Amino acid sequence: MTRWAMVADLERCVGCQTCTAACKHANATSPAVQWRKVLDIEAGSYPEVSRTFVPVGCQHCADPPCLDVCPSTATRKRADGIVTIDYDICIGCAYCAVACPYQARFKVDAPRFAYGEVATRNEVERFDPDRLGVAQKCTFCVERIDAGLAGGLVPGMDPAATPACANACIASALHFGDLDDPESNVSRLLREQRHFRMHEELGTGPGFYYLYADRTSDPAPEAAADPASQTPAPTRAKGIAPALQSHWDWRAAGNFMGGGAGTGLLVAFGLASLVAMPHRLIGLAALALVATGLFLVWLEIGRPWRFLNVLRHPQRSWMTREALVAAFLFPLGALGLWYGHPALVGAAAITGLGFLYCQARILTAARGIPAWRVPAIVPLIVSTGLAEGAGLFLALGALLQPPAAATTLVAGALLALVVLRALAWLGYRAALARDGAPTATLDALGRVSPWLWLPGTALPVPILAAGLVTADFVPWLWLGGLAAFAAGWVLKLVLITRAAFNQGFALAHTPARGAGPAGPPVKPGWTFRPAAVVPH
Amino acid sequence: MGAKPRTERTVSTYCYQCVAGPDLLQVRLEDGVATEVRPNFDAADVHPAGGKACVKAFGLVQKAYNPHRILRPMKRTNPKKGRNEDPGFVPISWDEALDLIAAKLQAARAAGLTDEAGYPRVAASFGGGGTPTAYMGTLPAFLAAWGPVDMSFGSGQGVKCYHSEHLYGELWHRAFTVSPDTPLCEYLVSFGANVEASGGVCGVKRHADARKRGMKRVQIEPHLSVTGACSAEWIPIKPKTDAAFMFAMIHVLLHEHAREFLDGVFLKRHTSSPYLIGPHGYFLRDAGTRKPLVWDLAAGRAVAFDVPGTDPALDGEFTADGIEVGPDRETWSHAGVRVRPAFAHLVTHVKDYSPEWAAPICDVPAATIRRVANEFLDHARIGETITIEGRELPFRPVAISLGKTVNNGWGGYECCWARTLLACLVGALEVPGGTLGTTVRLNRPADNRWSSVTPGPDGFMHYPMNPTEKETWVSRPPVRSAHRTLVPLVANSAWSQALGPTHLAWMMQGEDFEHLPQATPPDVWFVYRTNPAISFWDTEAVGAAMARFPFVVCFAYTRDETNHVADVLLPDCTDLEGLQLLRIGGTKYVEQFWDHQGFALRDQAVPAQGEARDFTWIATELAHRTGLLAPYNEAINRGAAGIRLSGEGYDFSLAPAQAHGVEEIWDAVCRAASAELTDGAESQGLAWFREHGFRVKPFPRLQWYLYPRVVEQGLRFELPYQERLTRIGHELGHRLHEQGITWWDRQLEEYEPLPKWRDLAGLWEDALARHFSVRIEDYPFWLITARSMQYSWGGNVGLQMIREVADNVAGHGSVVMNAAAAARLGIGDGDLVEVRSPLNHTQGRVMVCEGIRPDTLLMIGQFDHWATPFAKDLGAPSMNALVPMMLELTDATGSSADLVKVKITPMGRAA
Repeated sequence: MTRWAMVADLERCVGCQTCTAACKHANATSPAVQWRKVLDIEAGSYPEVSRTFVPVGCQHCADPPCLDVCPSTATRKRADGIVTIDYDICIGCAYCAVACPYQARFKVDAPRFAYGEVATRNEVERFDPDRLGVAQKCTFCVERIDAGLAGGLVPGMDPAATPACANACIASALHFGDLDDPESNVSRLLREQRHFRMHEELGTGPGFYYLYADRTSDPAPEAAADPASQTPAPTRAKGIAPALQSHWDWRAAGNFMGGGAGTGLLVAFGLASLVAMPHRLIGLAALALVATGLFLVWLEIGRPWRFLNVLRHPQRSWMTREALVAAFLFPLGALGLWYGHPALVGAAAITGLGFLYCQARILTAARGIPAWRVPAIVPLIVSTGLAEGAGLFLALGALLQPPAAATTLVAGALLALVVLRALAWLGYRAALARDGAPTATLDALGRVSPWLWLPGTALPVPILAAGLVTADFVPWLWLGGLAAFAAGWVLKLVLITRAAFNQGFALAHTPARGAGPAGPPVKPGWTFRPAAVVPH
Repeated sequence: MGAKPRTERTVSTYCYQCVAGPDLLQVRLEDGVATEVRPNFDAADVHPAGGKACVKAFGLVQKAYNPHRILRPMKRTNPKKGRNEDPGFVPISWDEALDLIAAKLQAARAAGLTDEAGYPRVAASFGGGGTPTAYMGTLPAFLAAWGPVDMSFGSGQGVKCYHSEHLYGELWHRAFTVSPDTPLCEYLVSFGANVEASGGVCGVKRHADARKRGMKRVQIEPHLSVTGACSAEWIPIKPKTDAAFMFAMIHVLLHEHAREFLDGVFLKRHTSSPYLIGPHGYFLRDAGTRKPLVWDLAAGRAVAFDVPGTDPALDGEFTADGIEVGPDRETWSHAGVRVRPAFAHLVTHVKDYSPEWAAPICDVPAATIRRVANEFLDHARIGETITIEGRELPFRPVAISLGKTVNNGWGGYECCWARTLLACLVGALEVPGGTLGTTVRLNRPADNRWSSVTPGPDGFMHYPMNPTEKETWVSRPPVRSAHRTLVPLVANSAWSQALGPTHLAWMMQGEDFEHLPQATPPDVWFVYRTNPAISFWDTEAVGAAMARFPFVVCFAYTRDETNHVADVLLPDCTDLEGLQLLRIGGTKYVEQFWDHQGFALRDQAVPAQGEARDFTWIATELAHRTGLLAPYNEAINRGAAGIRLSGEGYDFSLAPAQAHGVEEIWDAVCRAASAELTDGAESQGLAWFREHGFRVKPFPRLQWYLYPRVVEQGLRFELPYQERLTRIGHELGHRLHEQGITWWDRQLEEYEPLPKWRDLAGLWEDALARHFSVRIEDYPFWLITARSMQYSWGGNVGLQMIREVADNVAGHGSVVMNAAAAARLGIGDGDLVEVRSPLNHTQGRVMVCEGIRPDTLLMIGQFDHWATPFAKDLGAPSMNALVPMMLELTDATGSSADLVKVKITPMGRAA
């Protein structure tokens, strides 16, 4: 077997970006698209400061999160470990981009040139319309590897069969080769030198290794740093610390808001129909909300007319599964509303529940976003979706006057859901605190927290409880419902567009250079807080 | 990828956009369009960095196709010049452009090659540390045919170069620039030498290999540069105090260790350490032979330094007879005078320069300074040898390298002296593992360093000083920088004009320098691959001076801040479009140490865009239209294109009377190159080079080291005692005073036999405060700069891709500031600030970080463009407008250092 991998020697790398430039030439990437680049990471506090240059790009993981999530099967992994993208079937949903913990994926929706509107001659020559609106990333220069192998060359040894970045590296810091060959250049380097992989704890199995030197036999400087001073300072962390993901904007959030509230409303409708069939417009509104959410996300994808490709990956992609569930949800909902049959309505509601669950799992599968990938987000997304729907049911009830029994049932359910959501929120934030999260994520969640507690919980709970106890408060149930619903939408808008900071970059060790010990780990922009002191 | 190209091929060429080149590379062409730059792996076994090309080379594709290029000759229609004047350039034909220039040249020639002030009527400025010659084809032949040309209008020299190192380096060890013997070095102390940014592919590769080998590099500099980042240790030193650190290192070696720990053999046999010093501070000489005397411990008497079999004393005081020879041959005779060897004077000289003395000056703990000194000594392996190509040489794997601002301007002498002396103390000068020179530019011949080693006075190497004796002193400057008049060390080679005090040429355009001829503007000024209106210091003053030049011809890539004052713009071929053969290999600048030497072809990879023309065509046309075809062709035949066209057994000379085509000229050059490399056996021409790209023969590694050559000739390194320079300095003072010139007196103080510590920070502060009548306390920060590998010398600031990749390297385009200092002033990351020196101000966004001293600000590279397309929209700050050109801040070599005191004012919050 063959497993192609890149080895970057952090003791050698000088951050010159020759690999970055060579990659841009070899792959004709658009301005600001860098399949390969070198980070410049500072750590420590003056005067005990280190600065490390770290080549990054697609890590060609053994267990690539991008592959699991891809709904179209455009992302694949070859037997030799290279993760590829088929531009012809990619729908440009960017799910892979948020799933990648290495920020390795790009999407360019419109032609972009070095000097504005008009392409230079080389840009005209290399322009590839197939790459517009789809995901793109480092391929390990797979064409060179394949052509080289066909010609009897050895990738990593023969330049014609070696990725452009490794060829270009002027410090001999980048090495490419076959991990499965114990005699290969990369196997030898890994055998002989200390190394780590980035974000090893995420279990992605990167095919990208970092050599770091540790020459502890050398005496340390006499002014050995106080361990506290070795705590990485976050001073210069731009481009290194977690950044707000930009791939999914309000349109994607709209899918979680519309889909969550819509399916929740459908469930509330189904629940109510157990005692008395509510006004059909409520059910229609539920379907319309889900449809609107899906329409919004359709607006966001880079290749909208390939949308049916979303159905190609039911084996692993929760996005495919969401789409498949939607394919049942709408006919069942339509039939239920048309015939007014509680069984059909119930079936639609159960499908809605499934859709809601898929949405939650879409987020957990996005392993590139710490705020999303925690399993504790599932009960939060499900409970808030249901609470939004029940709340909306009550709010719409002010206009559409559902039967009193149905209202009471839904109000009771909402009361329970609001409490459950509050518990899920606590559990979610505790999980983030336990596992660690980008500081900016925690800050964003801290800012949205009052919404959860005040309009989301403190306002609806007494109204709902009072409404259940005395009829005097029934006319006010719409307010409790609306508050619970609104808080849920604010929460999801924030989760998708404000709290969704990516993994950022981190080093398990900073390298020695020529002499001295290796340095401590660097993970700028992250906070680990004991659960007990998490602000609610 | 897009559609598969119909045709595909590669062309071998080179990139020599910076002094660390040339890098050999290949260009991939798809359907005739250059799309990709790749290393030239055909040269993997020949090139010291395996045929790799640096990041700047990858900008060449965009450089060729940049839509902002000037692609037709243009002439100015607005006679008024200045930053705020629209030049009103209109396209003209090549014929009209060349006729226009030829007419101006003819008029200048008719009026006399030099003007009434004695200065050449034609001037030319080329940038990039001499690299434009790798692109200007046969222009040097035209300049040679023309006669005197003033090349002293600087474009960055002095303040942006290793100026003191160039001059003192060449004097002491044929080192226009200095390099560690990186492949063998084990301990390197680097005072701000930013080799990872400015060392090119060879420097980067050699140092990366050295790190893997375990070479410890200690980087001493105010900010954590990319080189500091890649070093074992960073010591943040206060700007411009490096000499104190090195003086303290010398103190530790001389006062805290027994003599046997130093390399006594090297000091006694290969330096002037044992030379006895007379009461007037000059060597005590034998009255008859005038040879310097040493005290022979074996014989117990003073003998001439070159008497074999002696055991010369380094320490002690002795009674001897002899004479001293001072300035202007003044002679003192001594009988029974008490004298000490130069080394003993040195020991006394550094007695007070202890680490404890240096610590507060440098803001570095004394223990750190002492440890570095001791580690330096510990790693020196004194007594060990190594065999290089069958020759046993001392092996001393320790070195010291100096960076810009350390090795130029005031303090440059002290630092260069201390560095070279430290090497001598442990026998590590010009030996394997130690401190080496790279190339010669002032000494002759320049084909390699060994050839330039010839005997001079007192057992030292010859050095081509500008004369200071009454009869021969050059009292009337031949060019506007007055380099030969003021700076004996700058010599008189083809390179000397480009060194020297080039800012004086600009200053004299606006100020009267008493008792020198009033400087005139040149009748015609040629500008190629340089933009002094951005790259010099006090750019506003430089821009204003050039606006007064009557006729300016700029070879223009795009519009820029200098060609804004041009009368004619000529579009020449860029790197990938022109044709030229270049000498490669041997030892060259920075870290270019090859095991081969030969030639590489810059082949025409893509057709000339628009109406751009090959430089050789332009030069030939100029020669033709000025009636200089014959001397022009003869200059090419003599070697102005890089190689003599005739030699033993071959003659490819061009017929002098006719104009030759570009390919015809370079075919002849290629044939001569083939013949030279094969001792006349082969004569393949352009076609062969086009097929193979380059041609080399072995270069002996032994010639990396000057030591064998110096020893072979029985010569010594002229250290530690600067007797010759002291005498010359006094003579220069006499000459200047005889002519009434007193404004160079401060510079004369630098001529000391053993340099004393000067409070350089105070010198800067006092000068600025006095000159601008400011309270210097209001300017609490030192502003410094650093080279950018992505931009330096490249003329590539208008290239989008370069900007894109450079932005990955922290600090580009920003005012880099210490986080705590920023917090104290309420400045946050990304905030807009004004940085103001007593002279001028600039604006930029702050990048806060930990890797810089709290009293220092950093601006990488040179920006502040206002005319160059793309670059003018970058909003990147630059220190160049903030650094004043001042005589007071000019050292004896004619350079200053790139630093100034500034204050910083918040202007707006981060976007």
